[in-house]
Amino acid sequence: MTLRRFAGLLLLAVVAAACGARESSEAGGASGGGSSKPRVALVLKTLNSPFFIDMERGAKEAAQRLGMDLTVQAAEREVDVDKQMQIIENLIQTGIKVLVVTPSGSKEIAPAIAKANAAGIRVIVVDTRVDPKSAAESGAKVETYVGSDNYEGGRIAGKYLVEATSGKATVAVLEGIPGHETGDQRLRGFKDAVKDAKGIRIVASQTANWERDQGFTVFQNMLEAHPEIDAVFSCNDMMALGAVEAIAARGKTGKIRVVGYDAVEDARKAIRDGAILASVAQFPSEMGRVAIESADKLLKGQPVPAEQLVRIDLVTKDQPSGAAAPAAGGGGAAGAPPASPSAASGGTR
Amino acid sequence: MLNTAAARRARELGTLVGLALLVILLSLLTPHFLSVSNLLNVMEQTSINAVIAVGMTFVILSGGIDLSVGSVLALAGVVLASALRAGATMPLSIPAGVGAGAVCGLVNGLLITRGRLPAFIATLGMMSIARGAALVFTEGRPVSGFESSFRTISTGRVLGLPAPILITAAIYVVGYLLLTRTRFGRYVYAIGGNEEATRLSGVAAGFHKTVVYVLSGVTAGLAAVLLTARLNSAQPIAGINYELDAIAATVIGGTSLSGGVGTLHGTLIGALIMGVLRNGLNLLGTSSFFQQIVIGIVIITAVLVDSMLKPAPK
Repeated sequence: MTLRRFAGLLLLAVVAAACGARESSEAGGASGGGSSKPRVALVLKTLNSPFFIDMERGAKEAAQRLGMDLTVQAAEREVDVDKQMQIIENLIQTGIKVLVVTPSGSKEIAPAIAKANAAGIRVIVVDTRVDPKSAAESGAKVETYVGSDNYEGGRIAGKYLVEATSGKATVAVLEGIPGHETGDQRLRGFKDAVKDAKGIRIVASQTANWERDQGFTVFQNMLEAHPEIDAVFSCNDMMALGAVEAIAARGKTGKIRVVGYDAVEDARKAIRDGAILASVAQFPSEMGRVAIESADKLLKGQPVPAEQLVRIDLVTKDQPSGAAAPAAGGGGAAGAPPASPSAASGGTR
Repeated sequence: MLNTAAARRARELGTLVGLALLVILLSLLTPHFLSVSNLLNVMEQTSINAVIAVGMTFVILSGGIDLSVGSVLALAGVVLASALRAGATMPLSIPAGVGAGAVCGLVNGLLITRGRLPAFIATLGMMSIARGAALVFTEGRPVSGFESSFRTISTGRVLGLPAPILITAAIYVVGYLLLTRTRFGRYVYAIGGNEEATRLSGVAAGFHKTVVYVLSGVTAGLAAVLLTARLNSAQPIAGINYELDAIAATVIGGTSLSGGVGTLHGTLIGALIMGVLRNGLNLLGTSSFFQQIVIGIVIITAVLVDSMLKPAPK
C-alpha cells in the first residue's frame, strides 16, 4: 500500500517536473536567470483571443529585434483580475526590469502595479488605461500608455453607421463589461456620434460581456423584444459575431446592419461575406511593438511619452485593409485625427 | 489491509509529502522559488482560496457541497464595498459584508434541511441568485474608492508577516477548534458519516447542517474582505469558479466527497499545493493553458491515492 501511495506522489512530481522543464526550454531559458539580456514581462488579459495573440506576436518580434528576454503570461479568463495580480506578483519574484501589462480591470490593476513599482520595476500599460483615482490611492506609477483611442473608434463607428443608414435606423448596442474603461469609451464615442442624427434610435443597450456566445443570446433576446431593430453596434467583434449568428437564425441576414470593433480575422471574413458591414480595426501587434520599444527606451534611460496612440481604421467590404489613419504618437486626450472612411488607403499591414 | 485510522494518517502524511516534494522540485527548477519573499507571496495568494476552503471542508465533511461560494463572495464583496464607500466605518462594513454571506448560507441551509433539496441543487440556485444580486446591486460596475485604512487588511504587516496570512491563520485556528474541540464539530463528522443514524441518536441534524452552510457563507464573506482589500475594489463578477478551487483544495487535502472523513489541516495543505503549483508554473514561464492540465492531474492523483488507500469493499 505505502509503495503505491508513493508511486502516486512520484507521478505528481514527475509530471510537474516534465512540464516545467519542457516549458522553460521552450521559452529559451526565459526563467533561467543566467542570461545577461534585460528581462521584460508581458502580461496579457488572456491568450485565447486573436487580439492578444496578435499583440504577443508584435511584442515578440520587437523583443527579438532588440535583444530582449521577453516572458509572456496571461490568466485563463480575461476578467480574472486576481489571477492577473498573482501572475504579476510571481513575475516580480523573477527579477524582471520592465512590466508590460494589459490590465484586466482598470481599477483593480493599481495595487499590482504599485507592488511592481516598489520592487523597482517600471510599468507600461497597453490597451486599457489605469483608473487615475485608483492609481493615486495605491500609489501606482505608470511610465506610458500604449493603445488606441477607443472614444475616437466608437465615434468613427457611429459616424459610419449614420452614413450607411442615411441617418435612419433602429439600433441595438452590445456593450462590453460595465465599468471597464475600453468598452465605456467606445460606447461613449458611438453615442456622441449618433446623438445628433434624429433618425437614429437606440432601443436596446446591454452587455454581452465581450463574449461570442453571450452576444448570440443577448441579441436574440433583443430581437424578440424589438423586432424592428435594423442596425447593431457591438463594442467588440466577438459579440458582433454572436449577433450575426442570431440574425442568421432569424433569417434576417443582410437586413440588419452590424458594425463591430477590433476587425478580428473572423469579422473580416464576415465583412467580405456581407454579414458584417464594418469593423473598427485596431492594430494590436503594433501596440505590442510600441510597448516593447518603449520598454527598451526605459531600460536605456531614454524618455517615453506618457501616452502613445496606435492608429485605428475602419474596415469595410470596399476597404478590406482599412483606410489608414496615421498614429498620433504622444498625443494628448484629443487622440488620433478622425479617420474618415473615404481617406486614401495607405497600405496597412 | 490497513485499518481506517492508519490509512487516514498515511493519507494525511502523503499530502504533506506531496507538498514537500513539490517545494523541493521547484527549488531545483527555478532559483526564484525558494526565497522568503516568494514564499510569503505564495501564502498571501493562497489565502483567499484557503479561507473559502474552511467552510467548504465543513460542508463536504457533513456530506454536502456548496457551489455558491464564488458568487456569495462577489455579493459579500460588493455589499462591503458599497458600505465603505457610503462612509460606513470598517467595524460596520465588514460585518455587513460577512453578514450578507451568512444570510446566503442560511438560505442554502434551510433549503437543504427544511426544503429537502439536494445540496447540489440548492447551492447551484444560490450560485446564480447571489451572482445576479451582486450584478443588480452594482449595475454591473466594480465598486471602489474607500478610505485608505481599509487597504491595510491587505498591505499591513505584523512582525514582517503580511496581514492576509495572519488573518487566514487565525481563521484556521478557529475552524480547527470548532471542528475538533466542540460537540458541533463531532456532529459534523457524524452527519457526514451516517446522517440517519445521527438523527436517530437524538442529534438535531437539520440544525447542525444549516449551521454548516452558514459557516460556509461566512468564510466566503471573509474571503471577500481579503479580496476587496487586495484589489482595492469589489467586482460583481469576482470569484467565478472559486467554488471549484475550494472543492479541489479540500479534496486534495484528503476530505472524502462522500462525507465523514477529512481534516482541516489537510485542506490547508491542499490549498497550499494548488498555490505553490500555480506560483511555480508562473515562475517557470509555463502557459496558463498548460497550468490547467497540471492542476487537473494533481486533483485526480490525490483522489486516486485516496481510493487506493481505502480498504477494498468486502
